Amino acid sequence: MNGHVKSMHFQRFMETATTLLSLLLVMAFDSSRTVAASRNQQCGDYVQKSLKLSRLLQKESVDLIKTYKASQGEMSELFCKVSVNNVPDPNISGLEPSEKIASIYTHLQEFFPHFEWVYEQQTDLQLPTSPLLSDLRRFTAGSRNLAYLIKPFYQSLFPNVPLPEGGPTTLPPPQNIFQQKVYGCVVLKTFKELLSNVSRELRSLKSQVCRRRTHTNTLF
Amino acid sequence: MVSAGELLLLAGLVLAAAATGGFYQTNHLVTAPQTTQFLEIGSNFKATCMIVNTTEVTADDLYWKLSETTVSKELYTKLNESAISVTVPVTSVQSEWLFCRAKKGKSPYVFLNTGKFMYGVLLKKGYPPGKPENVFCVAVQEKTTISSTFRCDWATVGRQTSDVPTKYTLNVVVIHIRNYSVSTEGTHAQVEFVDTYPHFMTLEIWVEAHNMLGKIESERITQDANSFVKTNPPSDIKVISEKYFPTSPLMNWTQPINKSYGKLKYEIRFCTSGSPNWTYVPKGDIATDIQSFRLQSLQPYTEYITQVRCQLGHWSDWSGTTMKTAEDRPTSKPDLWRTIAEVDGKNERRVQFISKDPVFANGRIITFDIKIQEQKNDNLQWDTILVNGSESSDGQRVITVLKDMLLADLRPVRLCVTANNSVGTSPMASLFISAKGREDPPVKGLKVWSAEGKLWLQWTPPNGPDLSEYVVEWVSGEQTDWQRENKNTRLTAIKGNLEGFVRYTVSVYSIYSGRIGKPASKEAYLKEGAPLEGPVVRLNDKPGRNEAELGWVEIPLHRQRGFIVNYTINYTGGGETHEVTVPGNTVSYTLKSLSSNTKYDTWINASTVRGSAQSSTHSFTTLKYAPGEVESIVVGVSLGFMFVVLMTMLLCLYKKDVIKENVWPRIPNPGESTIGNWSPDYPLKAETPKENCLSGISVQDVDVCDGKSVFEEDKACLPLKKDKYLSEEHSSGIGGSSCMSSPRQSVSDSDEGSDMADTTASTVQYSSVVASNGYKGQTPNPHPQQAVFSRSESTQPLLDSEENPDMMIQESSRQSQGFKQENPAEIHLLEMDQQQEEEGVESLGFCPLDEESEQTKPSEGQSAASSYMSQREGYRPQ
Repeated sequence: MNGHVKSMHFQRFMETATTLLSLLLVMAFDSSRTVAASRNQQCGDYVQKSLKLSRLLQKESVDLIKTYKASQGEMSELFCKVSVNNVPDPNISGLEPSEKIASIYTHLQEFFPHFEWVYEQQTDLQLPTSPLLSDLRRFTAGSRNLAYLIKPFYQSLFPNVPLPEGGPTTLPPPQNIFQQKVYGCVVLKTFKELLSNVSRELRSLKSQVCRRRTHTNTLF
Repeated sequence: MVSAGELLLLAGLVLAAAATGGFYQTNHLVTAPQTTQFLEIGSNFKATCMIVNTTEVTADDLYWKLSETTVSKELYTKLNESAISVTVPVTSVQSEWLFCRAKKGKSPYVFLNTGKFMYGVLLKKGYPPGKPENVFCVAVQEKTTISSTFRCDWATVGRQTSDVPTKYTLNVVVIHIRNYSVSTEGTHAQVEFVDTYPHFMTLEIWVEAHNMLGKIESERITQDANSFVKTNPPSDIKVISEKYFPTSPLMNWTQPINKSYGKLKYEIRFCTSGSPNWTYVPKGDIATDIQSFRLQSLQPYTEYITQVRCQLGHWSDWSGTTMKTAEDRPTSKPDLWRTIAEVDGKNERRVQFISKDPVFANGRIITFDIKIQEQKNDNLQWDTILVNGSESSDGQRVITVLKDMLLADLRPVRLCVTANNSVGTSPMASLFISAKGREDPPVKGLKVWSAEGKLWLQWTPPNGPDLSEYVVEWVSGEQTDWQRENKNTRLTAIKGNLEGFVRYTVSVYSIYSGRIGKPASKEAYLKEGAPLEGPVVRLNDKPGRNEAELGWVEIPLHRQRGFIVNYTINYTGGGETHEVTVPGNTVSYTLKSLSSNTKYDTWINASTVRGSAQSSTHSFTTLKYAPGEVESIVVGVSLGFMFVVLMTMLLCLYKKDVIKENVWPRIPNPGESTIGNWSPDYPLKAETPKENCLSGISVQDVDVCDGKSVFEEDKACLPLKKDKYLSEEHSSGIGGSSCMSSPRQSVSDSDEGSDMADTTASTVQYSSVVASNGYKGQTPNPHPQQAVFSRSESTQPLLDSEENPDMMIQESSRQSQGFKQENPAEIHLLEMDQQQEEEGVESLGFCPLDEESEQTKPSEGQSAASSYMSQREGYRPQ
């Protein structure tokens, strides 16, 4: 009798514990799902915005190069065909998403000193009212904004992995006017290539990272 | 009770006083708080006053003053012997000083150092800031990019005072990049982003309101930066209307900004020219990032305004263009109607068929094809009527006259019409005009009124069967227009362009399967005004003595500008002005009780419900005498005069003897006496008169006739009298007045008998003298006395002497003598008299006859002559 009663009590205890455990599991799953969904949403937003901005900058870089050529006088077409050293590489490196995103960020960062340098050179070459100067300023600011978007994107995906800031940028030595004109055009063209690469990488990251994480969460 | 906090405050004050000993060395009162205070209106303010460095006064000697008013002691709280606090309500908006002071009369020191026993704090009042609401931020497009200027507007809430103004700070945070902040006292501000607009970045925006009484933030807006962008509207808008798609033109435009800034949404709307109602294309039908759109379900041959706008963040302004769709076949019937006018003297009607273009003409109507069917089996050819092609400028459809014809009253007719444009032919419309008097019943209870700038109609449907629709017609002068209403309509407004101040005859026709019923009609104005002119006033007839009939011509219809509700007749004369109001349908009025021979000015005011107009003044003068009055007086006087004359004549006629007796009393002429004369000197002997004595006698009678001859009227009676006289010639008695009577005859007559005495009753028998033996014993004649009858033929009244027998006898004797001894002169005189009398008799026309007869019969008078003595000798002296 007592043994039977004990057995029944135990059985009831086990049923209750099982129910509670199931409830906790469901709550934990739902909570993690909500967090994952939120993160996924954030991921998508950052990728989407970065992608849109990179496209806008690409379009602006085309216009800027036209403006640049138009403001450099004769033989401007030739300037952009000359190769110049010390201009950052436009290619995105890395195999993992984190490496690619970090590469995008560091490459963007590497170009900003060159933009500043080109701006200074063109300030000396152009009239203060030249549209090239304002376009350069706007384009540089837009590029910085892209970098500002990539950083939280990376941090949202890899919050515990610090984002490398990139090494020091080597600016070209003093140049003559021709060299300055050539240098400026090459910087813009190279950056345009970078933007193109960034757009492509972001598109792939959008499908890889954000969906994968969603998938992972679902699996969890 | 003094709270612990107040004690702490007091301690703080003491410490502060010690720290700033320089000031308090000269001042013995200090308050807490010490500086200017910003207070919320409606709250309570508490201040504490403390006595420092003196024992001249205690807390009981302190009092508070707010501006010029001493604060009631009920609001004081004594903290200790050297400190007192007060709590005052903050009510008014104006800033005030709150002073802590000591009573002057406490000691001479206090009295002499009043300034040291006074301390004040300035209270500035206001309200805490209200939460900014409706924050709206925008960045507009500049050329091909978005401006880096970011402007925000918001609405304030709550009140402010000048002492406590509210300031606002606009905060814009570009997440992960930079914060921007700008302050203002107004309700808008703008920030400048560094170098570029932060496309695709997230912005957090809020406005902070703050003043001395606090601060508060608006709701924070966290949105993508592009959601604040307002681009330019689409440009280069073109609408292409294709011939084979007249209802679906194609719309093209250019995007205002590059697609890389984001996908643009579009909104499209269109309306017909002049219409205020836009038709919006459903948003679901418009894709994003498009640059063309094909509109649908537009009307052919119609001018449309099409507009488009885009949205990146905020909607841009609208931009658009105007276009006209291509022509299409008319898709509705022409609007057919008729006018009918009576033809005088004939049993015919003049019918004019008119038509408006179809509502959906879908092009310019070039021709109408008509067919008139007078018999049921008529199968006539279509006639084509060319249309002038003019289009109404006011949007109204042009009315085309299709056919003018005379139609017998009892003959019905049916007209069929189609309209044609360059693309095709419309459906056929037909109209059936019934024989006169056989129309179907009209609508009942038609009411027409003006409201909201329109003419409204209401009616009750007729009882007739097959009612299909109504036609509302309005006519003004020669202008006719109409509109159609469906059979369920009971109330409608005229949609045509009606003019104010114009009288319209509004009719409602019920249409029974194409047959036109009898109309119900009313006259109405869309808007009434005062008449433009007054009526023309005139007098219908010459003015009378006390009345005049005024008439006036009705004001021409186009000058009335409303229904004439009444006429006010004003007339002034003799210093008085009168006013008479008569109904509007009156055209004449008789002014009465006018003064005679007075000039009157009259004018008439014609009034509508909106005002009146005055006619020109018409003047007239009333007559002094009424027509016929003078004639009446003249006739009356004449009749009176004639009456008097007639009465006088009658009086004279009937009382002639009395008159004659009174007016012309007869004085007997002794010489004419016929009494026999006797004289003592001559024997009383009858002598044959040598001459006819008739002349001497007839004189008397002619006198009477003369008297009659005065009046012409009596001439008529003369023949009668003459006859009478003539008839009496032989019958006149003694004393007969007939001028025909002769003495001889009279004598003989008298002799003949007394039966004739009656005929002489009207005459006065002067005397009947009998020759007696003489006067009083005298014996003039020795011969035996012979009785002689002698009688005076005179009609004169008897003299006294005659009346007196004594005298008469004497006179008679004298006469007798006279006859015998007549003076030749007197005889001559008598002859003249006789001649005159004869003439007078001749004039009467009958006396000469007697004379002649007498003269031609001298023998007949022999016997008589013997009885008369010759009187030629005259009187002999007695």
